[in-house]
Amino acid sequence: MLEIKNLHVAIDGKEILKGIDLSLPDGQVHAIMGPNGSGKSTLSYVLAGRDGYTVTQGSVTLKGKDILSLSPDQRAAQGVFLAMQYPVEIPGVTTMSFLKTALNALRKARGQNPLDALQILKLLREKAKALDLSQELLSRAVNVGFSGGEKKRNEVLQMAVLEPSLCLLDETDSGLDIDALRVVANGVNALRAPSRSMLVITHYQRLLDYIKPDVVHVLAYGKIRQSGGPELAKELEKTGYAAFAREDA
Amino acid sequence: MTLAAFKNRASQNQEAWRYTNLDTLLSPAALDAEPFPHGPHACPFKTCLVFLNGIFEPSMSRFGSVPSCLLMGDRDSGYSLTLGEQTCLVAHPVELVFASDSKAPDEIPLKFSISLGKNARLSLLENHRASAVPVSVETSVTLAPHAKFVHGKIVSGGPHLALYTVHAAEGSFYTNTSLLRRTRPARNEFSVHLDGQGAQVSLNGIMFLNGHDHADTTAHVLHNAPHCTSRQSYKSVLDESARGVFQGRITVAPHAQKTDGYQISRALLLSDKAEMDSKPELEIYADDVSCRHGNSVGDLDPDALFYLRSRGLDEKAARDLLIQGFLADALDSLPVEAWGSSFRHELGLEPL
Ligand SMILES: Nc1ncnc2c1ncn2[C@@H]1O[C@H](COP(=O)(O)OP(=O)(O)O)[C@@H](O)[C@H]1O
Ligand SMILES: [Mg+2]
Repeated sequence: MLEIKNLHVAIDGKEILKGIDLSLPDGQVHAIMGPNGSGKSTLSYVLAGRDGYTVTQGSVTLKGKDILSLSPDQRAAQGVFLAMQYPVEIPGVTTMSFLKTALNALRKARGQNPLDALQILKLLREKAKALDLSQELLSRAVNVGFSGGEKKRNEVLQMAVLEPSLCLLDETDSGLDIDALRVVANGVNALRAPSRSMLVITHYQRLLDYIKPDVVHVLAYGKIRQSGGPELAKELEKTGYAAFAREDA
Repeated sequence: MTLAAFKNRASQNQEAWRYTNLDTLLSPAALDAEPFPHGPHACPFKTCLVFLNGIFEPSMSRFGSVPSCLLMGDRDSGYSLTLGEQTCLVAHPVELVFASDSKAPDEIPLKFSISLGKNARLSLLENHRASAVPVSVETSVTLAPHAKFVHGKIVSGGPHLALYTVHAAEGSFYTNTSLLRRTRPARNEFSVHLDGQGAQVSLNGIMFLNGHDHADTTAHVLHNAPHCTSRQSYKSVLDESARGVFQGRITVAPHAQKTDGYQISRALLLSDKAEMDSKPELEIYADDVSCRHGNSVGDLDPDALFYLRSRGLDEKAARDLLIQGFLADALDSLPVEAWGSSFRHELGLEPL
């Protein structure tokens, strides 16, 4: 599904990612853990195609095709979805009309017929219910006045509706209480499929009790320092990230 | 008022016209450079009065259930719309369509006098289709106590100059919502006199411009009596080399205590060359008043653009959706629901 090779990324001339290698096979869930400021969000933004990140070396392919030359919407059409750490507020645009526009744009790019307003309404209601999101939220402006937890659940709602093949979840657990965490994890788990891969970025091991990863990677100071099975997350919970001291060499 | 009279007015008060130079904007060279095609006209309302080249055309018009004596007068002496006491036409929104064709004279001066008796109510949309020649509008509005006049206006293009002078008696209400598009140039000016206690005015508008469009909204509200409320709220979306102007002025007379005045201008600049000039002015001679003003000029939020694009919207779709979001509250709060489709159509927006 996703192949990242020797990826170096700079922001304003400062190197943030210093050679990432990662291979995420179809249907697998990989977790990326690491201390604050280690470059986790940078990696997720680079994969989604945000401006301001310069790839100085390396390559990223999705299903064998280079994605670094694509615009964010072209990547979305190829199946990339980023659930953001800080979802953005869009004043004046209801969640309903936003998702209708997005879904039909993606369907068009994928050669499918557009859905009409009624079909979309039905789909959104059903998915929102599964995520314990109130219907009323759908007619409010995207993320405006949403609580932290509602914003995160709205990200997962979008993911469920847009049906990407590569899900990038950047700290979707932060700011959630235990009940909301369970709801979100159930929503994510419901999307696990043989043709869909996930990269779950988290600072804490807690989320991985609910979303069981196949592989855990530790990202520190711009590089993947260690990879292992789910037990690696448990270890990190005890030892912290101190072991991954700065290694700028 | 003719074009020459407007120019004369401007030359006598240069400060009030500092951002809109009619000599340059309406020079023969400027008018010839990009002659505007005359636009088509269609009217969704049952009551639709059509003025072709400045002259009322009964054969093209429909009065619906509104008595035809609503409209009197002729081009030279000016037209008048008069509603007697207690007459309520809110259920029958009236549309005035102003169209022009190749037989138009060099300029089209329009003169209106609108008068509402006690408790009378009128909803009226002025729809100025695109015009190749300058259109000038001089309208006086007189509202008797507790009358309510809901006034809308769409200008679809061309040179356009307008002055609305409103006198509002006790407890009356005047609201205007204007949409200015493709104006080369436009001046939309209001002088609203709140003469009776508790009178209210709400002036709103959208300036949606690109190319070398220029639109100037100048609004002066005079609080001449106590307990009056005034609102001015304008949104501008400016692309390419367009220029928007908002001059909002509130004057509170010494005895106009308990005045509540507010004005806000928000602009979205879509290009480096677009320009917005906002000049708020408060002149307050009473002590127990609340007058506030706000002003913002910004561009599209790059984080919001990325967010939308990461969900599959291409650049144009993402920009359009953000622009639509910026204008949403103005469109959602139109005082006549039936105007929504006319405004959205003029803006090129899909119905939600
Ligand atoms: N827009 C930016 N401009 C400058 N530096 C940035 C920017 N975004 C992130 N950084 C820096 O990049 C590093 C990694 O940040 P980030 O990817 O957000 O880390 P994480 O998500 O792991 O906490 C930090 O040192 C941060 O200060
Ligand atoms: Mg982060």
